[in-house]
Amino acid sequence: MKRFLTGLFGILALAMAMLTPAFAQSKGTVYYLVPTLLDEFQTGSVSALEMFLKQVGYEMKTLNADNKTDVQQSQMNDVIALKPQAIILAAVDFNALKPSIESARAAGIPVVEFDRQITSTMSDFTSVAGTIEIGYVAAEAAEKLLTEKNGSVKGKILQVLGDPGDPYTLDIQKGFEEKMSAFPEVTIISKPAMQWEASNAGTIVADAVVANPDIDLIFNHAAHLSVAAVAALETAGKKPGDILMMSSNGAPVGLDLIRKGWLNVEVEQPLYAQAAAVAMFMDKLVNKQEIKPGEYDVIGLKGVVTNEAWGPNLKVPGAAIDKSNVDDPKFWGNMKPPSDTIKSVE
Amino acid sequence: MNPRTRRLLEIVLDNLVWFMLIFVLAIFSAFVPNFFQLGIFANIIEASSVLGVMSIGLALVIITGNMDLSVESVAALAAMSVGVLFCSAGIGIGVTLHPEWLMVPASLAIALVVGGLIGAINGFFIVKVKMNAFIITLASYIWVRGLVVAVSGGRSAQDLAPSIRWFGIQRVLGIPLTAWIAIACFVVFSLIMAKTPFGRHLKMIGGNEQATFRAGIRVTRNLLIAFILAGAIAGMAGWLLTIRTSGATANLGVGLLFNAFAAVVIGGISLKGGVGSLPGVYAGVLLLSSINTAINLMGLPANFTQVIHGLLVLAAVLLDTLKQSIRHKLA
Repeated sequence: MKRFLTGLFGILALAMAMLTPAFAQSKGTVYYLVPTLLDEFQTGSVSALEMFLKQVGYEMKTLNADNKTDVQQSQMNDVIALKPQAIILAAVDFNALKPSIESARAAGIPVVEFDRQITSTMSDFTSVAGTIEIGYVAAEAAEKLLTEKNGSVKGKILQVLGDPGDPYTLDIQKGFEEKMSAFPEVTIISKPAMQWEASNAGTIVADAVVANPDIDLIFNHAAHLSVAAVAALETAGKKPGDILMMSSNGAPVGLDLIRKGWLNVEVEQPLYAQAAAVAMFMDKLVNKQEIKPGEYDVIGLKGVVTNEAWGPNLKVPGAAIDKSNVDDPKFWGNMKPPSDTIKSVE
Repeated sequence: MNPRTRRLLEIVLDNLVWFMLIFVLAIFSAFVPNFFQLGIFANIIEASSVLGVMSIGLALVIITGNMDLSVESVAALAAMSVGVLFCSAGIGIGVTLHPEWLMVPASLAIALVVGGLIGAINGFFIVKVKMNAFIITLASYIWVRGLVVAVSGGRSAQDLAPSIRWFGIQRVLGIPLTAWIAIACFVVFSLIMAKTPFGRHLKMIGGNEQATFRAGIRVTRNLLIAFILAGAIAGMAGWLLTIRTSGATANLGVGLLFNAFAAVVIGGISLKGGVGSLPGVYAGVLLLSSINTAINLMGLPANFTQVIHGLLVLAAVLLDTLKQSIRHKLA
């Protein structure tokens, strides 16, 4: 037994010794607090951030909040105690995390807001596509689709939201309805798919197409909801193209549905660019250097940094994906991460 | 009260949930625009297929005086297993069998085995090791969902093999085959519960486990079978869920557990065990599905949907409580 334990400790010591050089090369650990791992955008963000941060010398650890605000608050408190180089936060609740963000910054830990903008307190950096702006892009796509179908911007839209407790979906709704309010001949029926659960979206679509056979367009707030929506349409005897459909976030399933003709437009969130931007500015954030406003090339996309009341804010525009550009590898839904290595902003 | 009135009242109370369903359907038909049409009624039946099948398994365990909180996660794991194997896009590896119809029994068998295995694990700890059913199945609820996320990596599988998806598209008398499968499950398990010694023994165990044991009935074996059946039936619900959504996502089925509990309770099954029948549960499932559909059709602000849903379920349960108190007075 003694020999066995000695051997075991020997192997452990050897393994630790081999690990040390790897740590020595790292600039330190950055924590990513992801809201959930139950959707493809979020799981994609974990791998993209990890990849880009590694390219600029940081190790990343991820904590999943399972869409629970209180869990994410506890995680923030735990991570602050670990004194990482920085915290990247994709907040479950946009405002509830405010005290935790302030505590982290007071402890000297830079806080980066990823994907979900928090405007109620200062952050060290924000990298977003802009959820309200996704609504705007979707509205532009809807205008175009309705004009092609009906001759002008008129008709009936079924908007399938995510969970009504999630500010992310409410912001998209806000942006979308704000733009569409300019068209009085458009009727929008909005229904929430509780907990972003796909079969709930399927039920909503199944009921809506029976009760409102004149629906022109369905706008789902996430691509995985579109999969269930398509299944419901198929069950109702519909064929691709019978009802216009679009969704947002740019997940692989959405792009597949465009190829099959079910989905007309997918509003993509530029996941790779959003993640790359965080990594590009990480050295500046860790060294407490100023981030200057202006235009930056973020893996080929134009990212604009502005100084806002909540700190430096980088926005990378979302894009409308349709049949003409669906195979473009720059869209994260095609699962082809950029091959070029990113460099830290000087 | 004369015997005839009393008998009539007994019939009404025994089938109160069905009367509630008819009442609710009549109200919705009268006041909710576009509700009263065959397509909507077909949707209600179709949308209740997954919840219905899941509720059968849950009801079997609750009748024995136990509990199974894991059914939702078990259904999700079964759905993901079928999705990964038989979907051709996303994380689906697109397994094909020849002839193609073989994929139907194969996928169903996989879902049943996955569910049955987890049911057996639950049953082992609860029945053999004598651990608390609430805690064990709560643990399963958590670890099984974790397994779904781990297996899928948070990604989804889509494009279910057409031979399996066929059940979701093909209609008989205007109703998709998935709904007929759910109805068939209710008929079969209602007969098992009412007409077989196994069904009667489950009720007896729920009524008084000690007395049932002393009567020479194999309580341990029957309870173990009930948990395995609950798991396997949840697996079948997962199979139907995959067909319904033509794939599987990591959060598939989230929230079904509480609806299943609501359906079982509304359906007249006592959480203390020993009381209730499966046809009542099906009426409970249809009632919830009708409420959901009515909410979908009403032009209500999205944010209030959950409030209305909760209040309507509460109203249904209060009516059920009223039924119990009338029954006590009659006894």
